[in-house]
Amino acid sequence: MTSLAVARNVLRRILRDGRTVALIVILPLFFVLIYGNSFSGSYSNLRIAIVNEDNGLASVRTMEVGRITLTVDLAAAFVDALDPTVFDIVILDDAEEALALVGEGVWAALVFPKSFSNAVVSEAVRSSGERKVEFEGSSVTILPSEPVAGPLTQLVIDDSNPLVAGAVLAAFNAAFATVLETQQSSVTAESLLDVRRLYEGEIRMLDFTAPGIIGFAMTLITVMLTAMAVVRERTGGTLTRILIAPVSAWQVTLGYTLAFSLIAIFQAAELFLVSLWLFDIRFIGDPGAVILVIVLFAIGLQGIATLISTLAKNEAQAMQFVLFMLIPSIMLSGVFWPLETMPGTMRALSYAIPLTYANAALRKIMLTGHGLGALTFELSILGAIAFVTLFLSVLSMRRQAYTA
Amino acid sequence: MAAEQVIRAQDLRKMFGKRAALDGLSLSVSQGQLYGLAGPNGAGKTTLIRTLCGLLRPDEGEANLLGWKMPSTRVRSQLGYMPQDFAVYDDLSVMQNLEFFGQLYSLRRAQVRERANELLDLVELTDRKRDRVGTFSGGMRRRVSLAISLLHKPRLAFLDEPTAGVDPKLRRSFWDYFNALAEQGVTLLVTTHLVEEAQRCHVVGFLMAGRLLTEGAPDEILAQTNTTNLDDAFIVLQEQGQVKS
Repeated sequence: MTSLAVARNVLRRILRDGRTVALIVILPLFFVLIYGNSFSGSYSNLRIAIVNEDNGLASVRTMEVGRITLTVDLAAAFVDALDPTVFDIVILDDAEEALALVGEGVWAALVFPKSFSNAVVSEAVRSSGERKVEFEGSSVTILPSEPVAGPLTQLVIDDSNPLVAGAVLAAFNAAFATVLETQQSSVTAESLLDVRRLYEGEIRMLDFTAPGIIGFAMTLITVMLTAMAVVRERTGGTLTRILIAPVSAWQVTLGYTLAFSLIAIFQAAELFLVSLWLFDIRFIGDPGAVILVIVLFAIGLQGIATLISTLAKNEAQAMQFVLFMLIPSIMLSGVFWPLETMPGTMRALSYAIPLTYANAALRKIMLTGHGLGALTFELSILGAIAFVTLFLSVLSMRRQAYTA
Repeated sequence: MAAEQVIRAQDLRKMFGKRAALDGLSLSVSQGQLYGLAGPNGAGKTTLIRTLCGLLRPDEGEANLLGWKMPSTRVRSQLGYMPQDFAVYDDLSVMQNLEFFGQLYSLRRAQVRERANELLDLVELTDRKRDRVGTFSGGMRRRVSLAISLLHKPRLAFLDEPTAGVDPKLRRSFWDYFNALAEQGVTLLVTTHLVEEAQRCHVVGFLMAGRLLTEGAPDEILAQTNTTNLDDAFIVLQEQGQVKS
């Protein structure tokens, strides 16, 4: 009976707290909806560049009429075989230009050589033996010939994201397989490709996820610590006492920002050092650039946490509000699966999450060695988030002191 | 020459839902006056202090402190505020609390130390100044809170229930100290729900349901109600439902 009384009392108190009840109901739904909608498993809008120098002709020897030239256009058939919902295909004329775009928003560049069709057909006939084809209204027999030595198709791929790189290669292989099937060829797609990865050394899944996980750990700790500290300061009455002194809300907010930024930098250093030491994660960039990303990111997180604390009446509520931020952060910021796999609405939401930009910036620095020049976009967004949330958190501090 | 009106409040009204916490309340306190605001729990004492300090905006009326219309940032350095809750850092020591709040008022370390010695003597916590406040009883925390409020030598101090949970001997010391401060020209508005305590004030205001039942020197109130102590006077006034005009 005593246990029942305790349970009834606990439930009654929870049910009287409207915000907690709402969080209890909404949080699981929110979690499932975010998860279900964020990971579709299929890719879209992967930008690739293709240079088609293939003349589309295949020169073969026939039993009936000697050497003839067939028009087969196999490179064009390859492009047609690519799924337009997955790839955003840019057709270019200049191979150098196409190859230079890889890593700059283009995941892969393919350059089909002039004799691509010829090489594929002759290889197919050589491997599969005689075959009949229609030529100028008559049936002719193509005879096997010596393989035509021709340049392979050049493929340069951005392998900074092993998941995307794997998906691109798989899609290319499938498209090649479709084309080769029309030629009844037994050759493999791989034998036609000269694949060059953009970055030296293998980028493992661990390397790929490490920047995001480090960013997520920072989000978790910084947001939770700040939100709890501000709520405690408000409910304990010390925030009112501080703000009735001759100090401005700006000064108080900056004090908080300074303290939690230092904690965030310490945490990040700890995370980086342990990850490097124990797991040998890839880090080929500038540590100074990493520190800049972390400071801007930490200021933004601190601002968001202060805003969260405005909504929470107590520390328990603050914890639950923090979860509302953490769930989309880990699922929608591209930490585990690329943004390219997300449906449009979820992808739009991911652009509102600071970790998306911190993760992208840290990956650029750590995995591909990009310097500050390549981080202008991410740093601008992180800077804007830091500034706006800092400004809003000043207003929030003042409001909290006066409503405590 | 009349003393400066340090607190001037006119027709203050503050509603919480349908309940009027302040119901058209007007109040004037002169410089160097020790004003005791007495009344039962829920009478509106804390709401009045928070409104005067600018922490709450009145729905009607206005408050002026030290000549400035509130809320104003200009008076903050001259205000002392002791809230009813402890508002101290439990995880810091007494001295660390005093040093932090001293820094907010731009006090140098030596000034903090000098003031801390005086105030910790008053609140009888000198021996415990290195101890964490979290290990203290409620009454001891309130004493730390009082020391913080008076650390920067404010010209005007709002002390919300400073003697709650404090033993009688120490309460007497507090009231002696408040009187000494008033003699030095400091204006104090002190709330208490122990009506009899207000006997130690220059002026007493009896607050009930957001309105002043009466206001005056303790002797005047006793004469007016034909009673011998303020507890009885308050009960008489409450029964008469007499409201200050």
